Amino acid sequence: MRSILKRSNISRRKFLGTTATAAVLAGVSAPNLAFGAAKTVKVGFLAPLTGEVAAWGLPGLYGCRIWAEKVNAAGGLKVGGDSYQVELVPYDNEYAPDKARTGATKLIREDGVKFIMMLGGDTWPAVQPIANRTDMLVSTLLPSDLSPDTKTLIAPCEVHPIYNVTGVEWLAQNKPGLKTTVICAQDDALGRPSVATYLAAFEAEGIDVLDTVFFDLSATDFAPIMTSMLAKKPDILCLDTAYADYVHPLCEQAFLQGFKGQIISCTADFYEKIIEKTSKEFMEGFIFQFPDFDDPALNGPQINFPDPNGFYTEYNRRWPGEWGAVSWEYASILDLWRAGAEKAGSVEPTEVLSAMKAGGKGLHAFGEAEWWGKELFGIDNALVGDWPVVVIENGKAVIKEFKSIPAWWRKHGKLLVKHFDKMGEMYYQRG
Amino acid sequence: MPERVTEGGGAAARRPGTRLAGFGLLAAALVALPHFLSFSQKEIAVFLVINVLLVVSYRLLTLTGEWSLGHVVIMGVGGYASAIFSKALGVPVPLAMLAGAITAAAVAFVLAFPLFRMKGFYFLIGSFAAGEVIRLLWKRFRIPFGGPKGLKLIPSVPDLELGPITIDFFEPVSYYYLCLIVVSISVFILYRIERSRIGLTFHAIHWQDHLAESVGVSTWRYRTLAFVIASFFAGLSGALLAHYIGTVNPNRFDVGEMVFVLIWAIVGGTATIYGPVLGVVVLTIINEVVLRQLGFDQMRPLFYGAILIASILFLPQGLESLVGKARDAWARRGE
Repeated sequence: MRSILKRSNISRRKFLGTTATAAVLAGVSAPNLAFGAAKTVKVGFLAPLTGEVAAWGLPGLYGCRIWAEKVNAAGGLKVGGDSYQVELVPYDNEYAPDKARTGATKLIREDGVKFIMMLGGDTWPAVQPIANRTDMLVSTLLPSDLSPDTKTLIAPCEVHPIYNVTGVEWLAQNKPGLKTTVICAQDDALGRPSVATYLAAFEAEGIDVLDTVFFDLSATDFAPIMTSMLAKKPDILCLDTAYADYVHPLCEQAFLQGFKGQIISCTADFYEKIIEKTSKEFMEGFIFQFPDFDDPALNGPQINFPDPNGFYTEYNRRWPGEWGAVSWEYASILDLWRAGAEKAGSVEPTEVLSAMKAGGKGLHAFGEAEWWGKELFGIDNALVGDWPVVVIENGKAVIKEFKSIPAWWRKHGKLLVKHFDKMGEMYYQRG
Repeated sequence: MPERVTEGGGAAARRPGTRLAGFGLLAAALVALPHFLSFSQKEIAVFLVINVLLVVSYRLLTLTGEWSLGHVVIMGVGGYASAIFSKALGVPVPLAMLAGAITAAAVAFVLAFPLFRMKGFYFLIGSFAAGEVIRLLWKRFRIPFGGPKGLKLIPSVPDLELGPITIDFFEPVSYYYLCLIVVSISVFILYRIERSRIGLTFHAIHWQDHLAESVGVSTWRYRTLAFVIASFFAGLSGALLAHYIGTVNPNRFDVGEMVFVLIWAIVGGTATIYGPVLGVVVLTIINEVVLRQLGFDQMRPLFYGAILIASILFLPQGLESLVGKARDAWARRGE
């Protein structure tokens, strides 16, 4: 070594200095090379994970974890010639606007997420100014959050409560003898637009709504509510859209008070527990809108959710008894977002949004769907297509039929606008 | 309800110079604080300062011996009123905030007529019922309250132009300083009220209401006064909240939120003005910063409950009793 240095007229000090500099530069640049091989894109999950609304957040996070593991194991997102591993960043907003704002700030400004999934509802208005300022792409499960000024908010999976029309349509076609109903609903941003939808759907089918009973979220005793409903002697009990904490005691009360008719509801989360509290016979024929993903009907060619049966099996293996309405929904939104990012060749929110909405159509979990909503929400940011009608048969949820929401809208859209307007739920009527 | 402790502190603690230096240090720390926080922690700091005003105003009411379950609803009255004044009537936001606080005080004054026919447990239940009536009115009347969805797109505090500098109050640091100023002034006023003859009368009503009446004190009038003043500042905190997050809805001001205020007051203690402040600061940091950073998002209610139980078992006089003990120990060390 010494002879080499002598021959090249390089001093020992210079050699060591140069070597050290090279080593430092190599050390600095090596991680960059490594990062180039495995980029990461972060997705925020800003939903209630604790509290009374957690049933519409936490099961969704579980589903997303399975989705992310599968996608990452398969090499991640292929975007613009790069591969991206997906990292989920959850934040529990407790369904409180102030915590949602804090969460959005953290996800956008600290974690650098490129997409945020939310439940929406009470929490969205606090996030909206941040999303608008940063052009952040945000998804909601509640399209009633949509308005003309929510340009970066999309409802790409659940078009709550519009899909409830499919359940009523199926009911009328298959049980035409049922002609009267009473609706009971939680008095909040979820319950009221859902009531407007059910009113339109029942009117479209010629079913007479005898009464609509609203209860406050602080309600704990459902016996008098059920008594007043049953006093009208309805053929159908409509439980509207209510938290599992209300659907369960309402069903229990209907059972205890001897109701023998038809029940229809938006959700029946953890319905096995309702059956335990009532009976298999009582719950037979219960209509709702959210399937178990082991249903064979989900293996049809039009379904855009990869391996639904495997997803359901894996979900129940990890979190037995936790399957609910939203378990698959956030994961299906991730599928759409992934397709948008791969199509755009970028993970940047505005580019992904443009790619997702290009052509006015998208691949919804239950088939091809269209970006829609201008008449109802003032903006075409809701992806609407077919939706399943689910019926409990022999203690198990079974998909009876996929029905088209756009087809119903074309026939009865005016009724929906009429009842939304009457309930003050149109986008231009909101506070 | 927790027993009150006497304010601890030896001669050193009572020395004006020491106290002034302490306040100076605290003020410097509060001014410097946001520069050491992450973006989300700055947001938490804003809400924390607002909650300090809420819980300190609540303490003023408890001075008369009455514990209300409607204080968060009164906060909501301030938020709703301020939102309506600014959004529907075009009142400038700072004036709307003041009007919101005055509205909350006015509502409290009206409620005082039925509520202060009751005492103790009955007042507690009565205040809960009154609060629920107000909440249901917000839900029932879409105009002007927005119904169950509440109000959104509430105007924020306008930017402040100071020559070449523009202060954007949408940014948490700017809003933190605004809240800090408003809350500091409010807490000082509340402190001075407590130290005044009115405050002494509140204490007298708490401990000896019949004796106070026998010497000509109108307990109804003083309880009403405490309720109205406390509600004014609760309303102000609601207005600060509403114009920051841009939305108010009935669920935000339900009894579940009120439980948090009670927990802050109980864990911190209500014998001193800093007791509830300690409660809200310590519990918020544990809940919103420590437990979240440790990855216990879903376990937080469990930990929160455990902390509450532990504090009642081992610190029945609240966190403030630790301060008193520490001050006594410090004073003894110097003697």
